[in-house]
Amino acid sequence: MDKLIRMEKIHKEFVVYERLEGKWSLLKGAFIRTKKKVEALKEMSFSINRGELVGFIGPNGAGKSTTVKIMSGILNPDSGSCVIDGRIPWKNRIEHVSRIGVVFGQRSQLWWDVPVKDSFSLLKDIYNIPNSSYEERLYELLERLQIRDLLNTPARQLSLGQRMRCEIAAALLHRPQILFLDEPTIGLDAVSKLELRTFLKEENEKSGVTVFMTTHDMDDIEAVCNRVMVIGRGTLLFDGSLSDLRAHFGSQEKEDIDDVIVRMYHDLKLLT
Amino acid sequence: MKTHSIRAAFSLFRISTVDNLQYRAAAFSGAVMCVFYALIDITVFTVFYKYGSNSGSSMSLSLTQMASYIWLKQLMLPPYGICPEFRAKIENGDIGLELCRPWNLYTHWFAKLSAWRIGGVWWRSIILVVIALIIPRPYKLGMPVSLPYFILFLVSAVTAFVFWAAYHMLVTAVRINITWGEGPCVILLLVGEILSGLYFPLQMWPDFLQPFLTVQPFASSFDLPLRFYVGSIAPDQALEAILLQIAWTLAFIAAGRLIMRRKLEKLIVQGG
Repeated sequence: MDKLIRMEKIHKEFVVYERLEGKWSLLKGAFIRTKKKVEALKEMSFSINRGELVGFIGPNGAGKSTTVKIMSGILNPDSGSCVIDGRIPWKNRIEHVSRIGVVFGQRSQLWWDVPVKDSFSLLKDIYNIPNSSYEERLYELLERLQIRDLLNTPARQLSLGQRMRCEIAAALLHRPQILFLDEPTIGLDAVSKLELRTFLKEENEKSGVTVFMTTHDMDDIEAVCNRVMVIGRGTLLFDGSLSDLRAHFGSQEKEDIDDVIVRMYHDLKLLT
Repeated sequence: MKTHSIRAAFSLFRISTVDNLQYRAAAFSGAVMCVFYALIDITVFTVFYKYGSNSGSSMSLSLTQMASYIWLKQLMLPPYGICPEFRAKIENGDIGLELCRPWNLYTHWFAKLSAWRIGGVWWRSIILVVIALIIPRPYKLGMPVSLPYFILFLVSAVTAFVFWAAYHMLVTAVRINITWGEGPCVILLLVGEILSGLYFPLQMWPDFLQPFLTVQPFASSFDLPLRFYVGSIAPDQALEAILLQIAWTLAFIAAGRLIMRRKLEKLIVQGG
């Protein structure tokens, strides 16, 4: 199989400043700071094939977002290597990011005050998409995501569900090879979630885009992904299919997947 | 730089300018404030010129020149502090999304910054110029001394604009270090503003400081174009002054790019 993403022993630390304990801590803190190193990722290694749909789960603070940020070229790791489609994300950032699409559920890439279509045409110029290809792709995305009627609305006036559909369209206009999604379904209603999942699955079949998604919603994984990775305290703890995960950590058949995950987090001592 | 990235920068410039032009109420109140400050400034200087012990011909600027200087100063007044959009993006981590675009962040933000400044002052400038021209003497904005000087004024005003953007970008690059907070940037901007003649025309400073004041970089951002307008610079110094201004501008662009590249290597992206 064609390895698209190869992560080897990626290590990333952050420095956290802590306030001192005790009576005069506030005052002392103005002069002395205690530094603490937090290891966000400890020698993270994995590889992903072209066209895979990967779900990335783990408790809050496990290092999911950091992994996504390293893979999308935003952060420099302290050590280790990562090669995506023959490029090192943080070294060949510009070439790398022109071939990926990103959606961060808690952030917006649309221009807040201008109509959505202006944001799209700006992206066309940024990614240097030829006219004909842009028109064709835009038409397709507008139809499939049902956002044609939203084009003239400023992003700030869209509901979250509408905005997320526009965000997805914005991330796919330039036909990226990899789509990174960081909690794309956060805060969405049931209908929007279902539509989004169907769309992602379809898009993967149609264009062969590789999808890497972090989420806390196990239904996302169940509906979309054919592979699950579990991360905790900066290390990869499980890598396989959802049924493997069930077989490994589930106690009975048909057990609710969220219960399985809770048991797994407990078994792996991920919860404090 | 590739042509498409220049086109993208222009496209961004266009969208941001349109975005900023929407705020007409803000522009109107800005104009009112500028007129108010200009009138107070001119009144204060009139008093000094009339009743000061060292008044009259010994001043390096006449009262009429001073009035023009003050009006132009209000016209070219830089906004206070760092561009709020950049500050917000650095603080809340949206800078990460900016880095997912296939272009150099410096160029990208330079275009945005220029658009922000132009979009913001467009309406204000029109109102200000009209008022400055119809107001009676000695409060009036005088005519430029001659056509060649007016052309020199325009050239050096455009360069001054680029210089301002380059300096602002340098300060923004320093701001990427979030743990430092606002302090260093406020100091940097303040030093720049004082040395640019914004608070007090450089020509009115003591004589022994003049050699330093004319060659230091910040004269480029403000004082020089105003000198051309009021005609307080000798013709044989004009070329040299403009070349120096361009050289400083290029130096600040280079320094800003360098600092930004360094800071981005150590970037911390806030939030999940």
